[in-house]
Amino acid sequence: MNEFLPYFILVPLLGFVVNLTLPRKREAVIFWSAITTVSLHALCLLVFTISWLGNGAPDIHGEGPVLYQTRDNEFSLNFFFDRNTAVYFWVSSVLTFLVMIFSRYYMHREPGFKRFFNNVLFFYTGLSCIVFSGNLETLFIGWEIIGITSFFLIAFYRDRYLPVRNALKVVSIYRVADVFLLLGIWICHHQFGQSLSFVTWKQMFSDGVPLISEEPYRVIVPLIFLVVALVKSAQLPFSSWLPRAMEGPTTSSAIFYGSLSVHIGVFLLLRTYPLWGDILAIKILIVGFGAATALVATVIARVQSAIKSQLAYSSVAQIGLMFAEVALGWHTLALVHFAGNAFLRTYQLLVSPSVLSYLIHDQFFNFIPPQHNIRDNFAGRLKLAVYTLSIREWNLDRIMYRLLWQPLKTAGNMLEFIHLKNVLYFFLPLYAACLYFVFHRDELPVDILHNLPVGLALVSVLLILKAFVKRNEAPNAWFLVVMSQLFTAMAIAFNEQFDMFQIFMYLSGIVISTGIGYWVFSRLARAGEAITLDRFHGHSYEHPGLTRLFMLASLGMAGFPITPTFIGEDLILGHVQEHQFGLTLLISLGLILDGLAVFRIYARLFLGPHEKGYHEVAYRSS
Amino acid sequence: MKNNTENFDLDAVIHELKHYLPSQTPLKDFIHHNSLHAFQHLPFYEAIFTSSAIFGHQATFNLNEYRKLYEIGRIRHEILEQAVLARKGPHDAKSWMEKALRSTQSSYTEPGIGRLRQYWKEIYRLDIDNIVQPLLFRVLCSYLDQGVAIWHFPFVDEGLIPGLRHVEKNGFTSFFKTRRARNLLFDESVTVESLLALVVGDEKLYEQYLFDQQFSHRGWAGMVSAVEDRPDTLLYPKKIALKELIFFELLLEIDAAEDELGPGWKPLAHMRPIKPVDLFAKLPLTEWHEVLMIWQDAFELNYYDEVLSALKIVRETDREEGSAPKSFQGIFCIDERECSIRRHIESVDPNCETLGAPGFFGVEFFFHPANGKFYEKLCPAPVTPKFLIREKESGGKRGHEILHSKRSHTILQGFAASLSLGVWAAFRLFRDIFSPTMGPAISDAFAHMNLSSELVIESNGETENGLQVGFTVTEMADRVENLLRGIGLSTRFAPIVYVVAHGSSSANNPHHGAHDCGACSGRPGSVNARVLAFMANNTRVRAELASRGLIIPDETQFLGALHDTASDEIAFYDEKGLNPANAASHVQNRKSFEEALNLNSKERSRRFASINTKSDIRKVREAIRRRSVSYFEPRPELGHGTNALCFVGHRNLTKGLFLDRRAFMNSYDYRTDPDGKLLLGVMRPLPPVCGGINLEYYFSRIDNQKLGAGTKLPHNVMGLIGVSNSNDGDLRPGLPLQMIEVHDPVRLLVLVEHYPEVVLKTVKSEQSLYEWFSNEWVHLVAIHPDENRYFRFSEGEFFEYKPMKGDIRLASDIHNLIESAEEMETNHILHATLENLPIHIIKK
Repeated sequence: MNEFLPYFILVPLLGFVVNLTLPRKREAVIFWSAITTVSLHALCLLVFTISWLGNGAPDIHGEGPVLYQTRDNEFSLNFFFDRNTAVYFWVSSVLTFLVMIFSRYYMHREPGFKRFFNNVLFFYTGLSCIVFSGNLETLFIGWEIIGITSFFLIAFYRDRYLPVRNALKVVSIYRVADVFLLLGIWICHHQFGQSLSFVTWKQMFSDGVPLISEEPYRVIVPLIFLVVALVKSAQLPFSSWLPRAMEGPTTSSAIFYGSLSVHIGVFLLLRTYPLWGDILAIKILIVGFGAATALVATVIARVQSAIKSQLAYSSVAQIGLMFAEVALGWHTLALVHFAGNAFLRTYQLLVSPSVLSYLIHDQFFNFIPPQHNIRDNFAGRLKLAVYTLSIREWNLDRIMYRLLWQPLKTAGNMLEFIHLKNVLYFFLPLYAACLYFVFHRDELPVDILHNLPVGLALVSVLLILKAFVKRNEAPNAWFLVVMSQLFTAMAIAFNEQFDMFQIFMYLSGIVISTGIGYWVFSRLARAGEAITLDRFHGHSYEHPGLTRLFMLASLGMAGFPITPTFIGEDLILGHVQEHQFGLTLLISLGLILDGLAVFRIYARLFLGPHEKGYHEVAYRSS
Repeated sequence: MKNNTENFDLDAVIHELKHYLPSQTPLKDFIHHNSLHAFQHLPFYEAIFTSSAIFGHQATFNLNEYRKLYEIGRIRHEILEQAVLARKGPHDAKSWMEKALRSTQSSYTEPGIGRLRQYWKEIYRLDIDNIVQPLLFRVLCSYLDQGVAIWHFPFVDEGLIPGLRHVEKNGFTSFFKTRRARNLLFDESVTVESLLALVVGDEKLYEQYLFDQQFSHRGWAGMVSAVEDRPDTLLYPKKIALKELIFFELLLEIDAAEDELGPGWKPLAHMRPIKPVDLFAKLPLTEWHEVLMIWQDAFELNYYDEVLSALKIVRETDREEGSAPKSFQGIFCIDERECSIRRHIESVDPNCETLGAPGFFGVEFFFHPANGKFYEKLCPAPVTPKFLIREKESGGKRGHEILHSKRSHTILQGFAASLSLGVWAAFRLFRDIFSPTMGPAISDAFAHMNLSSELVIESNGETENGLQVGFTVTEMADRVENLLRGIGLSTRFAPIVYVVAHGSSSANNPHHGAHDCGACSGRPGSVNARVLAFMANNTRVRAELASRGLIIPDETQFLGALHDTASDEIAFYDEKGLNPANAASHVQNRKSFEEALNLNSKERSRRFASINTKSDIRKVREAIRRRSVSYFEPRPELGHGTNALCFVGHRNLTKGLFLDRRAFMNSYDYRTDPDGKLLLGVMRPLPPVCGGINLEYYFSRIDNQKLGAGTKLPHNVMGLIGVSNSNDGDLRPGLPLQMIEVHDPVRLLVLVEHYPEVVLKTVKSEQSLYEWFSNEWVHLVAIHPDENRYFRFSEGEFFEYKPMKGDIRLASDIHNLIESAEEMETNHILHATLENLPIHIIKK
């Protein structure tokens, strides 16, 4: 049966590719193509599940193609099917199927009709990739796909300010999870000595063999995956992104942020259970996080006066309970809880516009003015304090801002000394020198050679930081991004025995992206458009073609799995030895910032309210 | 802005602000009104361009769009010439033609609003709105919330600021980040002026600053202002004032600046010399403006001319009423959506007669449903009734929707809900998608008053909360007489007179009130129809009427009914009261109504993508009904979209025309009112009601982003009072995209069948009525009753207008016309306008 597993990813992927080619205005064609894909997928799943049950519901492992292989490195796609896969995918299939039908008329005549269905299909592909993945690498591909579609679904109304701002906000938090996941994979590689599949994890766990025996990695690895799960499932302290993600059409908020997307964290915990299922401290920690989230999110939900954010926090609270259930080993309960919560919240979100007439009508006949018996004593004051705090969402949004954005901005702004000029006069010659020494290592003193990787990675981070806060010309920021990538590659080149092919793989996507990027800038400049980064320009209104092109370039530059750069990223980390914490940290930071800087350039130039006032443009606050 | 040089007067500025802010009240009641009501004292074009220069919204289409409309023939060449001629005279016509078609370029200037607060960014690099607004909106929404939150804002009966002081006293946490802002809140000697001194620092700039500040979130500011003025628009009463909002916002701004810039930051005007800008300075009109005026004139005239040409052709043939006895009469609302059902019922039963009157049927009252804790107003919004109609027994109870239960939001019950209700939710999702049915969470027009409910209509002297319960015989006779004489129905009564109100059912639609009857304050008019029928059937009322010379034959009976304009269903009230003969013919008439509703469904279905108009008519009808209960259908019906005309005259005028549901039709008979005594009463409500609807559609269509609510799909219900797009976003007043996309933005043309001099005298007799016409917010044409001539009102006089279009299409078969009509390709005006069918003359 295992040979069928790859098709569960191929079918939606194929459907997505087909949908890309369809004409924009043919709603019926777009819809039927999309719904056929999902139905076909569900049908395959049905047949598969029946025979799987007939066989006594065994764990099924499938080997996919090997994408890259060297002596000590292998990047292969693996698939896996077990009870978790079955439940997660049944719920996802049914929900996606229903919501697509719902959307057919709901989205009618929306200018983004095709964009919506494409994104749903791509999301579905990503989800299949995660749920059917048999090793961490495959899971990571799906993870990235979901991250990127989330950006597009949140910024679906790309001509307004808030959706774009919030999309950037959410994606920057997501990016943290992505890189933590990458770190997790890196450590696992070093610990396992190879890429282990989930089926082996499970096997070893049930045999009582610890997957990672070396301290402190035994604890660090689960902690890393825990952070990833906390982010993706909007658990404390990351919860505030969820209500802000509900910017798109109600249908997409319902299915993704009401159900499928936020429950992925629970799935990750279920998958990584063999890594930490025998460590009591980790279990207590997860129960703690889950319980704390459940409590705080419930209190926040109680004071929400906007229906969608109320639902968001209610859902988060239940997911907190699921975290605890997984940690306590009650996996069946967690799966049932997941299914129930996903359906309930999707439904509640879909019909959320009805609450206005329903509750007003209810109030008309049953209204009793709420009594506030808040006394002027300690308990009363405590109550008011919790109320105030909950209105402020326990300051979670502010904390995220202070923790994530503020330091980067401050750091970037401190780099006043980096100008285009000294990049040209200093960093370029430096790079040239490095290029020379890479082939003539023996000419360098050992001390320098030893510290060079960290130094170069630091330069890379500085450059990307600068790109991140740059407010003037976009091409300059783009140049900094490229330079930063080149320095990262150089750092790796000095770190280990040089493998030209791997560096080439890493840089291939970047070179193409760089070119496309500059071509787009020059086209915009020739059309007399502003290409500064101090505000949103909204060029997608007049230049939809360039927008799409630049989006592809950005994806390539950010190491998204459309170019070999993506595999390169994995390989590059593979070259960092496990004791090199400094280097790992810098490279990870570089990767996070690289994505953010690139998305920022894309958003500032092409998204947001169009700056020309000859047509309808929404007010900034709306 | 009159206070630049004098001392700053806060109350005067707040008064001004309230005048300009959107006046939309909480969404449970939707009253259509002119979105630019603040500029209504100015002539139309001056008003829209001035407002546009201040607030940055679109006022018309842009030049390119008009030129393309010309290219595709939507604006005919001779019409454009006519429009140029009317504005520029023969001498300059040629050069202005050239300007309109080619030489003039679109120009755009940055709006005046927001320039002062821009200095936050320029001086301090501080995005003040980004910091202040999310919390400000959150607190406002929590304060005004009607019932989304489980835990309500305490102390709402004291006012926002006293309430905040109470909450802040808790001592542990605060809405503010800095001690300074918090202390300012507690200091009772602090005023708005003293806060402005801290933030702005120059008295000359205060007014401009407050305009900038409040218009950076016109949705919330408007809502606060509306609730302050009309607290009764909320069921859960909240005390709030715009002044409090300003006070709180200034505190938050100080808080933000203090937090970001540290203590010692200075007011804006102390950092840089800033000159005040007079936002409301008179706008010099440029060539660009004038060309736009010509184009918009032409766009409108193109349609008006077609209407008048068609009228002229139809009136050349003799269309006198036949002398056959009437099978029944139906009084419908003047609403343009009833235009088609009237045409269909007349075609099904050629012996019937239909009439139009404002849908509250002249009876104004509050309605107290059985077990209801509140009253509902059932008459036009500006009227304040003195009467109460009480429902004794409702005979039906609305169910509960467990999936909307707030209990699912708490931790343990939420856990239980996920486990148990999850399965139910999955089932419901299937059912609601594949087999949508009416449920408690769907707004149901027929649930407004149950079929079997009993009403107290006749007064026995009882009063309740200052309202008289029911009407006395004289009061009833007054209302019946007014209505019947107004619509010219004083003789030739049929055995049954149906009084057909309308309402609209829809699912998942926060704007459902906008689909109900505008003359009933955005509610279904079923109670009014029933009340009027009761009055007209009352024997003592009839005796009183007879003494006034209005004789209703004994065998004539009035019967109330409700037409659901979304589901195309009809219900009749008090059928048991019919005498045997009428009961028998009623059975027949019901069939006619059903048949007409079938045809009406079919006509409406041509605009709906989900329905194949050519399929079996029963299927079409069923599909129309399903739309009204489908959660996934953002267009259960299209509301007042496309409205453009308002006829005041006999139905014979329009009977031969296919008007594509674009005309309000008020019955009126000039022969019974030769000197126009009744005409004033008939015309008075038309500009505010129909003109209000028309202008709200105009502006929501012209700039759906700034003056409308944008697309419905991302809407988030805020506190049950409004919608916003985002969790951190401003409220969105106005109409959503799905309601206006079929609308051609033309101003309302009122056509009155009477002698021009009588019409002129009538409109001039009341200044508030006259302003609508003299400032050209609504156009006026007098149809000469004796001659086939038409007079257009312009600058205080009537001028004869000679219709130009000779080739009005003939339609021998309406169904063919409907079936062959094509749906718009996109909702851009160039495509959307083609979906609106031209006027056709119906071949007999």
